[in-house]
Amino acid sequence: MSQDDLTHTSEVPPSDNTSPENPSRRTLIKAAGAASGLALGSGAITGFPMVWSQNIKNVTLRQFGTGVSNINAIAEKAKEDLGINLQLTALDSDAVAQRAVTQPKSYDIADIEYWIGKKVFPAGVMQPLDISRLKNFDKISSLFVTGKLTEDSTIAQGTAPHTVGFVESKDSTKFATEPTNWMTLIPTIYNADTLGIRPDLIDRPIKNWKDIMDPAFKGKTSILNIPSIGIMDAAMICESMGEIQYADKGNMTREEIDKTIDILKEAKKSGQFRAFWKSFDESVNLMASGEVVIQSMWSPAVAAVRAKGIPCIYQPLEEGYRSWGGGIGLAKHLSGLELDAAYEYIDWYLSGWVGAYLMRQGYYSAAPSTSKAFMSENEWNFWMEGKPATADILSPEGKLMEKAGAVRDGGSYMERMGHVACWNSVMDENKYMIRKWNEFIAS
Amino acid sequence: MNISVRTLRSYWQITPLSLVLLCFLVFPILTIVIVSFWDFNAYQLLPDFTFDNYAYSLTSDVTLKAYINTFFYAIATWLITLTLGFTVAYYLAFHIESNLMRNLLFILCTIPFLTSNIIRMISWIPLLGRNGLVNGLLTGSGMVDHPVEWLLYSDFSVILAFVHLYTLFMVVPIFNAMTRIDKKLIEAAMDAGASTLQTIFLVIVPLCKSGIVVGTVFILTLVMGDFITVRLMSGGLSASVGVLIYNEISLLQYPAAAADAVILLMTILTIFSILFRFVDIKKEL
Amino acid sequence: MATGQRKRGFIPLTLLFSAFLVFLYGPTLTIGILSFQGPDGGLTFPMNGVSIHWFKALFEEQRVGDFGGSLGRSLLLGLSVTMLNTVFALLAALGYRRAFKGANLIFYLSLISLILPSILISLGIGIMFDRLGLSPHWYTSAFGAHMTWTLPFGLLIMFAVFNRFDKAYEAAAADMGATNWQTFKYVVLPLVLPGLIGVSLFSFTLSFDEFSRTIMTSGTFNTLPLEIFGMTTNVTTPVLYALGTFTTALSFLAILTSLLLIAANRHRQSRRADTP
Repeated sequence: MSQDDLTHTSEVPPSDNTSPENPSRRTLIKAAGAASGLALGSGAITGFPMVWSQNIKNVTLRQFGTGVSNINAIAEKAKEDLGINLQLTALDSDAVAQRAVTQPKSYDIADIEYWIGKKVFPAGVMQPLDISRLKNFDKISSLFVTGKLTEDSTIAQGTAPHTVGFVESKDSTKFATEPTNWMTLIPTIYNADTLGIRPDLIDRPIKNWKDIMDPAFKGKTSILNIPSIGIMDAAMICESMGEIQYADKGNMTREEIDKTIDILKEAKKSGQFRAFWKSFDESVNLMASGEVVIQSMWSPAVAAVRAKGIPCIYQPLEEGYRSWGGGIGLAKHLSGLELDAAYEYIDWYLSGWVGAYLMRQGYYSAAPSTSKAFMSENEWNFWMEGKPATADILSPEGKLMEKAGAVRDGGSYMERMGHVACWNSVMDENKYMIRKWNEFIAS
Repeated sequence: MNISVRTLRSYWQITPLSLVLLCFLVFPILTIVIVSFWDFNAYQLLPDFTFDNYAYSLTSDVTLKAYINTFFYAIATWLITLTLGFTVAYYLAFHIESNLMRNLLFILCTIPFLTSNIIRMISWIPLLGRNGLVNGLLTGSGMVDHPVEWLLYSDFSVILAFVHLYTLFMVVPIFNAMTRIDKKLIEAAMDAGASTLQTIFLVIVPLCKSGIVVGTVFILTLVMGDFITVRLMSGGLSASVGVLIYNEISLLQYPAAAADAVILLMTILTIFSILFRFVDIKKEL
Repeated sequence: MATGQRKRGFIPLTLLFSAFLVFLYGPTLTIGILSFQGPDGGLTFPMNGVSIHWFKALFEEQRVGDFGGSLGRSLLLGLSVTMLNTVFALLAALGYRRAFKGANLIFYLSLISLILPSILISLGIGIMFDRLGLSPHWYTSAFGAHMTWTLPFGLLIMFAVFNRFDKAYEAAAADMGATNWQTFKYVVLPLVLPGLIGVSLFSFTLSFDEFSRTIMTSGTFNTLPLEIFGMTTNVTTPVLYALGTFTTALSFLAILTSLLLIAANRHRQSRRADTP
């Protein structure tokens, strides 16, 4: 897998970002200039008239999302590069969805996952992004545009990001089936998830999702209690056990949901689970303290356990990965100079520094080609290519993550993202599923 | 004339209280009641008049299970905190002679209650975990072969945390009531030949009834409305009514949460209207 | 003789009381010790070196979250709740010294306010603000949510104070020709002052640590308990314990200060009583 292939795969079909858009792009920039001029004239900004890009220095943007990417270091760098003040609020996934819908005025930028976007966007609290205003749009991986990693890859089940990535027009809340000029979320981060294990406490090879249900691990397993994600892990497990054959894991029927939840309830009753976790750091603590030896986990959580000197493997499994993706979107109320600043910020987000920062934590950047410039060859080869590290791999904070010679669990980007079995999702029977999930948690 | 001026003064004096209650208690409760009849989908509240939310809650096993759990936690916590709180208050009120010493010991009891509740909860985790301090001591001393699993993420740890968090709410009102008991009454009981236990149950308990009721009110309301202790200390494995409501809130199912909230409200009002039969709070303070 | 009898059971009770104190302080001490972990220490024993690294880290920027900002908001919110609450509770208790129509209604509403689970208030205010199109803020909706809990508390304490209040002092002041305001300022207020200090102490600690009532009402920014809750799910280092130790120390200081204030006030009063 060479780097050229990667950049190649991130190219977008010509129809999406070439000539037809260019004129409109120019007019929009003019309009933006006019808008900021208006803001100046109306006295919204005090001081002398300045060139456009400097005006955003005075702008404060409020962003909220999960702790995964609402990292203070990003706000600092944004201040340094763009001069904008980014105020971050980090919440857990449920709280994020809740705030996105119910308090749309409390944020300017929503940093949410695509399945949350599927719930939030139709509520009309956000505005789609005009991709022609983004210089780096064509750097975005095709996974988020056409849904395909490579020309011949198949699209996994569930809420794949591209299916909720576009709306039909500026004022529409209806998701488009084809890429359009109006994007709901600009993708920023994604990953392929699997089970994490403590190899020092498990004395047999782990190969399948069903291994989490092995009675040998009774009272030493955990799954995550975020319904839309947990149900997917559960589906992977049930399918692996041979108990249920789903038509579409990402869109289960009521019977499929019932069966899945029954299996989970049975396991809970027999004491298979030690705890449920809601945010990835809880999973770190469960694993590091030895309460749990096999559980659903996210990649940086595995890294965090290892950083404490405790062995932990992000185990690739035969059935494939459960994947998720996140992006940033704009609140409906955003306009004028703040909107300009938000566009500038999002373009900056895609320009590489943030992507590299996120990749060093084990996530993937939505615009891998731009991030490459901000990573050393060793880092790039380790995280993206799945090659052995030639030197120690450090975390963004400078802490040792992997010693030289280590190889990333699961291998290269293509190896991992190419084996995605399903995406986190919101189903048609979402309300029913959540009720049943609640029954399982309360049982 | 004079009387009406004085009454008028009373009215403006209670105006701030009334406004706070109106805006932040009465209106919100009305909102909950109204919304509990609404419908909802993944991202929106749909104004409606449907009994679906109630029908679902009232017929579901989950609700029943959650209420059983909640009552179990509430009663267990109540029994323990009452016994413990009464004993501590009794010791402070009747066994410590010096006023200074009594106040110092009392303050000593209150200091931990000023640390963040959440921090006090999670501080049990390094103690009780599979590789925690307690299990270390137990296995180290050879008392058990394998770490005791039920110390953490169990009903035990939930109730332990409740007792740890809320005992003070029992100690304070009982202690307050006890300090108001005329010591001569106790001497009289003793002189009349009552044993210590008889004195406690026949003289002291009836005299600090109000303190016990106030403490009970606090414990029941704190435990029955709790969601965070149950979630953290049971590792997310158990659900109380509060957890149920909180889950529904976090999943944006506000009408369902509102219906559950109304049911909880009714339950609590029923319990307390019975409880307040036993004591006139205003007079007994 | 009676005193001697009451002493029976003193030793077992003292043991029990000591055990109670160990139970109360055990976890606090555990996290106190663990907060001095070395830079590579984890959340559990054994200690991995000893340092004040995590206390320093507390005041530096965290990976996520904003500890300083939330502490500031919680302090401000706590102080404003305390101030208004003390005034409102005193006023209401004064109002209740006379009979008036609706007194029972308001009293029962206060009781309901006290016994309602916090999550219900939070949910109600959250939805109400949402439906009215208002955006919740920690200084509006959360402020109101806190008052529904601290105000009935304050009212009950003030009831207790006035139940033991000897009206003869007031009558004496009035007989000597004091105006209402003078009677209030020079007679009533000094007498109920310890009660008021109690109310404000209670209000502050209840508001400062209020979690459930804030969860749906704080708007864009977190208060400290919300931030701490966020940290329990976002933080995997002893910085969380350092925060616990730090807030405990802070509460300890607050208690000490108010005790000293009360003592100073008593001292002043007794001195004033000595000099005619």
